[in-house]
Amino acid sequence: MARKMLIDGELDKPSEEDTHFDFDLFVIGAGSGGVRASRFSAQYGAKVGICELPFHPISTEVVGGVGGTCVLRGCVPKKILVYGASFGSELEDARSYGWELNERIDFNWKKLLHKKTEEIVRLNGIYKRLLANAGVKLFEGQGKVVGPNEVELIQLDGTKISYSAKHILIATGSRAQRPAIQGQELAITSDEALSLEELPKRAIVLGGGYIAVEFASIWRGMGATVDLFFRKELPLRGFDDEVRAVVARNLEGRGVNVHPRTTLTELVKTEDGIKVRTDHGEELLADVVLFATGRAPNTKRLNLEAVGVELDKNGAVKVDDYSRTNIPTIWAIGDVTDRMNLTPVALMEGTCFAKTVFGGQPSKPDYSSVPCAVFCIPPLSVVGLSEEKAIEQANGDVLVFTSTFNPMKNTISGRQEKTVMKLVVDGETDKVLGASMCGPDAAEIMQGIAVALKCGATKAQFDSTVGIHPSAAEEFVTMRSVTRRIAAGKPKTNL
Amino acid sequence: MAASLSTPKLSSPTLQTLCKKCKFPTNPFSSFSHYNKPNHFGSFISFSHPRTRSYCRRFTTRADSTNVAEPPRKYDFDLFTIGAGSGGVRASRFAANFGASVAVCELPFATVSSDSTGGVGGTCVLRGCVPKKLLVYASKYSHDFEESCGFGWNYAAEPEHDWSTLIANKNAEIQRLTGIYKNTLKNAGVALIEGRGKIVDPHTVDVDGKIYSAKNILISVGGRPFIPDIPGSEYAIDSDAALDLPSKPRKIAIVGGGYIAVEFAGIFNGLKSDVHVFIRQKKVLRGFDEEIRDFVGEQMLLRGIEFRTEESPQAIIKSSDGSLSLKTNKGTIDGFSHIMFATGRKPNTKNLGLETVGVKLTENGAIEVDEYSQTSVPSIWAVGDVTDRINLTPVALMEGGALAKTLFANKPTKPEYSAVPSAVFSQPPIAQVGLTEEQAIKEYGDVDVYTANFRPLKATLSGLPDRIFMKLIVCAKTNKVIGLHMCGEDSPEIIQGFAVAVKAGLTKADFDATVGIHPTAAEELVTMRTPTRKIRRTPSEGKTDSEIKSTAGV
Repeated sequence: MARKMLIDGELDKPSEEDTHFDFDLFVIGAGSGGVRASRFSAQYGAKVGICELPFHPISTEVVGGVGGTCVLRGCVPKKILVYGASFGSELEDARSYGWELNERIDFNWKKLLHKKTEEIVRLNGIYKRLLANAGVKLFEGQGKVVGPNEVELIQLDGTKISYSAKHILIATGSRAQRPAIQGQELAITSDEALSLEELPKRAIVLGGGYIAVEFASIWRGMGATVDLFFRKELPLRGFDDEVRAVVARNLEGRGVNVHPRTTLTELVKTEDGIKVRTDHGEELLADVVLFATGRAPNTKRLNLEAVGVELDKNGAVKVDDYSRTNIPTIWAIGDVTDRMNLTPVALMEGTCFAKTVFGGQPSKPDYSSVPCAVFCIPPLSVVGLSEEKAIEQANGDVLVFTSTFNPMKNTISGRQEKTVMKLVVDGETDKVLGASMCGPDAAEIMQGIAVALKCGATKAQFDSTVGIHPSAAEEFVTMRSVTRRIAAGKPKTNL
Repeated sequence: MAASLSTPKLSSPTLQTLCKKCKFPTNPFSSFSHYNKPNHFGSFISFSHPRTRSYCRRFTTRADSTNVAEPPRKYDFDLFTIGAGSGGVRASRFAANFGASVAVCELPFATVSSDSTGGVGGTCVLRGCVPKKLLVYASKYSHDFEESCGFGWNYAAEPEHDWSTLIANKNAEIQRLTGIYKNTLKNAGVALIEGRGKIVDPHTVDVDGKIYSAKNILISVGGRPFIPDIPGSEYAIDSDAALDLPSKPRKIAIVGGGYIAVEFAGIFNGLKSDVHVFIRQKKVLRGFDEEIRDFVGEQMLLRGIEFRTEESPQAIIKSSDGSLSLKTNKGTIDGFSHIMFATGRKPNTKNLGLETVGVKLTENGAIEVDEYSQTSVPSIWAVGDVTDRINLTPVALMEGGALAKTLFANKPTKPEYSAVPSAVFSQPPIAQVGLTEEQAIKEYGDVDVYTANFRPLKATLSGLPDRIFMKLIVCAKTNKVIGLHMCGEDSPEIIQGFAVAVKAGLTKADFDATVGIHPTAAEELVTMRTPTRKIRRTPSEGKTDSEIKSTAGV
């Protein structure tokens, strides 16, 4: 039985101890956050039930699958395709290293797609086993909240069952959205893009976020002609401006046609493919048009309004620091709360939830210095503040250290692509406030830097660390001279 | 800074001896004529560290009281550096930036080093880190090709490798780099003299007959591969030659189990040579964490490298068809096109005139230095591999940087050897920082060990048997992470950031508080929740619990 919850004395009225529930916890949605919260709660002794829609690579209101976005139509399949696409440029580079390759090397999309599906099915099975081993009862079907302590499950055959639960956790994630552009039904979202029957020869990507640049890189790496459209001057709004510019340059350098400050106005089906019109009056033909224009929380069919769970204007579930909604017995974690939509953050929120509710240790997820990566080719990774944010937030001067260099591998391959690294330092405390990098292995390199940043490492501590030679990462500990100092109170310099 | 600039001149030999005894470095400011150029100090933000400043001040007082009358001697240079490798170039440049007048001498360029050839850039750039890594890149492609098949790529014909293209491109690159190094020296105002430097007296260097006087002499001549003297050793090649062979080995014996041996085994194996590694011990990489040694051995074996353990070479025999045979304590193996010895490196201390001036050497021929890199002769200093401390480029850079600060920035600086990370570019590569499990147990007794051994996402698709091994060693008492080891793809890149964390003394809790980057291999290092084993000293005997220890190798 669950231990007493310490977070909120008022909730644990003695009388409640006597109430019998089918479950201590019922979780709706078995993605990263839901599975983590269920498993950890069960390990604390709670009786846990979880429901999830039936498996399908492309999600809808009625299909999903254990593993959720990350495993089935996000991080994992995306990274598999990125690996696949990266070989394209690797093979080009190999020639300068003395390898004799045929002019045309064949790429078989169907084979990769098949292997990707195999892999996500395997992972889906692993997740199910994880739940079973933790003693979590898994139900297949659609979950609905019908009361503060009541969940209704619509099973695959249409029958409904109700379960009572002391706590309900909503972890239903989010789904890709389509903008209201004429002919939008001709376009696809990232779900379909990960499961296309044929590799497009001509692809159009609309959007400037991480999903857009990742798919642009994937298709380009596999040999497609790619046109990328976004509204801003640079892709990846919110990231460090200097690094954004590098990403744009690299995309172009690898042959992606980049169209900044441009959006699509109309999609028309023609014999030669989808005809796309831009707001600049251009017309292009494509085999595939991908809308990577954002994701929306899956809160529609959960019946949340009926029980009074508050949503924000984007439809996300509103929660407090402990992931609790305005209904004390209902909690929510992961993308459905639209806080920081990353798998490891959902895991953190799931863990904190279990600790708070069943582990007797009220725990708030800590959103400071959360690192993240964008798997465009080459990738981008960051932790902490961008230069712009640091200038905005710092009280004193901000010191910026940058290093732009030709990676050693390119010296022989001749590839014209610079790696860029950046450290943003508080001039007063010497603390490293932010680190960014765009270049090969950025995501792998940034993880350790993130540990240092999380714990408030100073620039002096970075400098006192000896480099690993020859690596790209050693640049992070050998940035000796300040590239620029932004005096406190000065308006942002325009890069 | 004002205080340090007013430091009086200091050239009395008596004082230098005194300083040496007191573990203070000598102060070279007597001929330090450009020290008031403020721009030279701009890049050293930690220049006015309070602790060091007070230390300098004490030092200054001492100098004031003893050395007033001695007139300064005129020297050609404030610093004369023998050897323009990583350490020498760094020390020279930084010294010049601090305002010193500096000359450096170096042997003429050649890909293979000898008593009369070398080249600006030194081992790292010309016949070490850089060309080695370029060859690692080249050889890793064969593994990429195999992997790519699992991702839908098809090759009509098996890719063939052309050795001469690679070596030509490699040589073009190191030529470019040696040029860059020369420019760096030039831009810093360092005089570069080509020739063989020899020490004549504590303040005099002879370069091929030309005599230069210097306030301070720095020896940074590095090390060279060493081949043991066995019959037929003239047929063996060392790593210098291996990086510049006219043709690719068909079948190669590599003798040695150190990092150079495993790196070249990976290179030639990747380029499809038949590779046999002969090691004296049971496993490769003595001194590394035992589990890492086991793991990398297994992975290399899976990639097709043959290991012959506990075999010591006794002779090399050349047969009439030109092929080589290696005779060991266990038998003779025939048919090698090449036999490479990666049996260690020795400091280049011969014919430098060191004996004449009384510079003390260790029994291995390395120059003995104190914590400030000062030799037994106070005006002579040494950094890098020639001192055989930690033989790594970044360490030589650190030593060179520290020396320049000590001598010309009035900031006595000791190189710091704790938590120095390092990598082995074997395939898969290894990287580590801090203590091995064995060292940690010896030093701390009670340690918690976290390990992960997993198949990376790439391997699940490629179907190759590649795995990744990671290990965190945590001091049970303080929760500090005292050792971190990894073998697998991208290890060297991954470990650098963690080295900052280990160097900063961060705890396991700090690691756990960090959110992962998904999906990466590196995120495993911040998501290790349960210790694989807890090793505890039994309180009565002060020894490691034998029962727990027995599981340590698993």
